[in-house]
Amino acid sequence: MAEVGGTEYNEFKWGKKRRIGGKKRDVQFYESFTYDGVDYTLYDNIYLYKEGESFPYLGKLIKIWETADKSKKVKVLWFFQPWEISNYIVDELAHPKEIFLATGEGEGLANINPLESINGRCNVVCISKDSRNPQPSDRDIKMADFVFYRTFDVGLRTIMDRIDEKIAGTEVKFIFNRPGFLEPSSVHNFSADDKNASENAMEINGRVILSKLNSSENQIPEDDRQEEQKPVVAEKLAPNDRQENGFNYKSASSFKVEENSDVKVPSVKHNISQREKLVSGVVTESCELAKANDRQENTSGDKTGFRRDVKENADSEVSSVKPQNSSIEKIDHINQVKVDEKLKYMKDASELDERPHKKAKLNSSVKVSNDDENSRHPTDPRWTTKKSSDKLKIDDKLTKPTNCKTPGMSPNDGKRTGDKAVEVICMPDSDRSNWFGEIPWEERMQDAHEHGKLVLFQNLDPTYSSADVQDIVWTAFKKTCRAKVVQHTAYSSPHSGQAFAIFNTREVAEGLVTELDKRCLWLPNQRPLVASIPNPCFLRKQSMFAGHLIVDKLKYLREMKEAVSTSHCSQPNTLEYDMAMEWCLMTETSNRFWKKLYEQQRKEIKRVKANFKTK
Amino acid sequence: MGSAEQDEYAAFKEKVRRTVFMDNLSPIVTESVMRTALDQYGTVKSVEFLPNYLEPQNMPRCALVEMEKEKQAEVVISTLSELPFMMSGMPRPVRARAAVPEMFGDRPRKPGRHLHVHWLDPSDPNFEVANKLKQLVKKHSTENAVMLKHQLEKEEKLAKQQGETLKANYKKYEMLDTLMADGTVRRLARRYNFRISDDSGPSTFH
Repeated sequence: MAEVGGTEYNEFKWGKKRRIGGKKRDVQFYESFTYDGVDYTLYDNIYLYKEGESFPYLGKLIKIWETADKSKKVKVLWFFQPWEISNYIVDELAHPKEIFLATGEGEGLANINPLESINGRCNVVCISKDSRNPQPSDRDIKMADFVFYRTFDVGLRTIMDRIDEKIAGTEVKFIFNRPGFLEPSSVHNFSADDKNASENAMEINGRVILSKLNSSENQIPEDDRQEEQKPVVAEKLAPNDRQENGFNYKSASSFKVEENSDVKVPSVKHNISQREKLVSGVVTESCELAKANDRQENTSGDKTGFRRDVKENADSEVSSVKPQNSSIEKIDHINQVKVDEKLKYMKDASELDERPHKKAKLNSSVKVSNDDENSRHPTDPRWTTKKSSDKLKIDDKLTKPTNCKTPGMSPNDGKRTGDKAVEVICMPDSDRSNWFGEIPWEERMQDAHEHGKLVLFQNLDPTYSSADVQDIVWTAFKKTCRAKVVQHTAYSSPHSGQAFAIFNTREVAEGLVTELDKRCLWLPNQRPLVASIPNPCFLRKQSMFAGHLIVDKLKYLREMKEAVSTSHCSQPNTLEYDMAMEWCLMTETSNRFWKKLYEQQRKEIKRVKANFKTK
Repeated sequence: MGSAEQDEYAAFKEKVRRTVFMDNLSPIVTESVMRTALDQYGTVKSVEFLPNYLEPQNMPRCALVEMEKEKQAEVVISTLSELPFMMSGMPRPVRARAAVPEMFGDRPRKPGRHLHVHWLDPSDPNFEVANKLKQLVKKHSTENAVMLKHQLEKEEKLAKQQGETLKANYKKYEMLDTLMADGTVRRLARRYNFRISDDSGPSTFH
């Protein structure tokens, strides 16, 4: 299409042609055009409105053409705004106006859109420190609508710092700032009060560029880039500037002043309506990204990830806080009831064990000073007592016979007991313990259990490692074993740890247990070692899981299967959410129980340890 | 030797910081499910399910998920504590919290630790105390077991109760749906001179 002369309402006008393409040689590619009074060139950054959306997307024009049936299309390489990919942003934003260029392969990289959806140009400055990128000045950055230096790979879904040679078939020089762009000072002076000024500015810039580069192709886009500075500079009087942009150096007759306000407003509206309309926009966005995605789990995961953002921004934040509050109130109330219940259980439990009534005897012989010394320790956090005991031991080593904290522990005790505190030495063959690396622990445990070689140690310090346990056994019994500590879960006691140990023969195992029962092996921090033959459960078949419900009739519905098989966050307006809240409430209550229980146990331990005598 | 140990321990501590402890997992959750579920928050380096030898077999599973960066772990924990996250089933949400060293079965030795053990003679007055402590340990472990059992029972009760509610709700919605579909509603509306719009029926359970 040849250039049409300027008319009153110039909706559209093609600019510079490029080449003919397409299968039937009927597609005309262009390098520039005017639409709604605004001039656009290839590789410009633009705002694009999707149907039905209230805020625009940011993109870069990487192809412009007209098809055989006279429809005008543009291919747009997308920029992502931080809120669109917040899930993947782990660090801080480099700049409040930072956006991310799409790279990689997959959905969300670029799209073809009708040209009519373009709604203005956008000033995006590249602040990458790449040597290929002309560096912008601070002024440039301040005046930009957006900045970018990082990219978001839509296939790998990560943020990258590097910019490759080509992105979406576009050479990198069109990604970076255009040369000749960095003369904002000259632009400023002609702050666009009148057409002439801007025209002058343009011409100067044109000349500069001409001198810099030979190819006429690049000339025009660069002009454009500079012109883009102006609207930012003189915001109020932007209209004039914009109009002047371009390639048709003749003054375009239609100066739609509203143009720029249109362009400006979206960016403002964008921020405000972002809060209100995030749902629709974000969901569409995520739908776009996820459309061709095979991994369904990610799909709903993404969607809900975005939705989560939405909720955090929107007013529903308040409502989501409320259930929490009410649940906390309920917890307190229930706590009262449950404490009583729990005490009942405590009594039951104690009935199971025969309590030796030796307290009276011990209490009578307690000395005051010792009480002080010893009652101090149980209250200290385990770590500090351990440290102090370590220190003492380092001093004492094998010379002092005692294991107890008080330095006052003299050889008297040693003489009396006749035992020496032995420093735990490494089990021999501990290097060779990797022989059995091939056989997984569980199998060995199972085998050991069948043969009676398995022992459970209790009342260990929870921070011991498996190797520590092995060493202790070696030191005390001169027997080798393979041990593994039992991993703590959310409900494990913080006071003690357990470990499984496999011995070589059944006799050894049983002998050990009996000996530990009869005598007493004293571990650091006043812990007698407790051993038993355990009965661990190796069954893996666990079919019942309280809490997952299925409506039988819907079980076979595809959507239900998908909903079940994907992991997702629950939305507050569903029944599922209410039920989930009930579960949360229950786990909270449980947590409090456990805390109370362990607190109680701690006190009991402390009480008993208070009777510990040192002399 | 010493510094190698310390390095190992320091690396271990760093790993602990990057790890999320998740529980209330259904037994059908597999490693791949966990990976895909948590992929959106960052890179999952490894998933380890905690074996359950001593606790009742109906206990929900737990897992340690190691992420690539500490910040990612924090994000997972904070997200999951704000919103209920469902995995392989509804409506019971999974729980995430920061991992502690005691949760790792293959943790390295703490460097600089010196252990001493000694045998106590029966004639030592502390022998009695020691025995008492041993008893106490056993008692506590029984208490814990009872507590766990009690908790499981409560969970099952809640689940059953929710199942009932769900069924009732579903029946209600089904009824509404059939009424809409077979025209009863429209007939009633005509009779009472009511206008009904053409909205779709009520939402169903997810």
